[in-house]
Amino acid sequence: MPPGALTDERDVREAYAAHASELYGFAVRSLGDSGLAEEAVQETFLRAWRAGERFDPQIGSLRTWLFAILRNVVIDLGRARAARPTVSDEGIEASVEPFDEALLSWQIEEAMRRIGDQHRRVLVETYYRGRPYAEVADELGVPEGTVKSRVYYGLRALRVVLEEMGYED
Amino acid sequence: MKTDACRHWKEDLGAYALGTSPAKSGAALEAHLEGCPACRAEADSLLAVSRLLPHADPERFGPAPQPPAELGKRIAATIGGERRSKRRQRRLRFGLGFGGAAAATAMAVLAIFVLSSGNEGGPEQHVAFRSLPTGVKIAATLEPQAFGTEIHMYVKGISSGTLCRVYMRGPGGGDVSAGSFRYRWGADDSAVLSAALDLSRAEALVVHAGKRTFVAPIDRAEATDRNASQQEEST
Repeated sequence: MPPGALTDERDVREAYAAHASELYGFAVRSLGDSGLAEEAVQETFLRAWRAGERFDPQIGSLRTWLFAILRNVVIDLGRARAARPTVSDEGIEASVEPFDEALLSWQIEEAMRRIGDQHRRVLVETYYRGRPYAEVADELGVPEGTVKSRVYYGLRALRVVLEEMGYED
Repeated sequence: MKTDACRHWKEDLGAYALGTSPAKSGAALEAHLEGCPACRAEADSLLAVSRLLPHADPERFGPAPQPPAELGKRIAATIGGERRSKRRQRRLRFGLGFGGAAAATAMAVLAIFVLSSGNEGGPEQHVAFRSLPTGVKIAATLEPQAFGTEIHMYVKGISSGTLCRVYMRGPGGGDVSAGSFRYRWGADDSAVLSAALDLSRAEALVVHAGKRTFVAPIDRAEATDRNASQQEEST
């Protein structure tokens, strides 16, 4: 059994504390249903515990391993759901993207949530909405140079957060 | 070489990486990057981040949904229950041999005996669903726990792979999720689930198996009476 294997109930509790929020957030985005997302997260940790002896931190991070399990669970749930009519709750729209694309999107969206409001705001306005820097500066009541500077530090913050989240190219 | 002069350019590196620099300042910055490896490396690193941005949907930058507080407890309880159930599995499986009617009756009597003697976490209650389609068997044992109720579900005779979602119905008809499992042919093990509802307050056990829903009332007044009347609901 590799050192660091997930064999103890305490290991699972710690893994849950560290990763459940992310797994759940992604499951909701991917499945479009908070009830199914709960089931997916529960099933992920149960499978992780049952296969805990096979987890080897030398090969990959716990987060990567849990997301790999969640991937299988989401695919299973997606198949089961495809066989019957769906009811989407809370108005959350179900994603139809393939899993890996959905995971990439979710990671960047999560990173965006974690950077500061000021940084996110200028990235949304200048990049996603394509607005001129001068116009955004006017609206925010700051010099144009400040908007540019926030864009720069916003991208840097995004890079740091993605690294912290274990994003791998 | 990176110098204090680079500070002046830094401000523009973000816009450059996003491709939102005005053409004139973009050209001047390009010229600087040609001769400054430090700024070049920084620009490349930001370009790598910038290339990820099209994958995100800015409509989804709002707060992420959080898992309900009881989910962690439910998972911990299910794992704890699964560990305990391994010890009991042999006995429980013995009590659930679904055979002919006479054998089933004999086994049910035996099951009650086995469950009573196998009690580790409090008085267990055995729930046998009735009015089921021919060939289908659904049963459960309920065990009070500090977190709520531990549920061992047994299913036989439905299509392999059927998703079964289990709820405990509380006072007033509110259903508390106990999770889900998938029935597999040939798998005799019980599915161990848990619900954050005290057994003493539970009114019924509800199982959605595929498109059908089965409800077994739980007799709270007679927690030890395992012959509670049953009913089936259609969805």
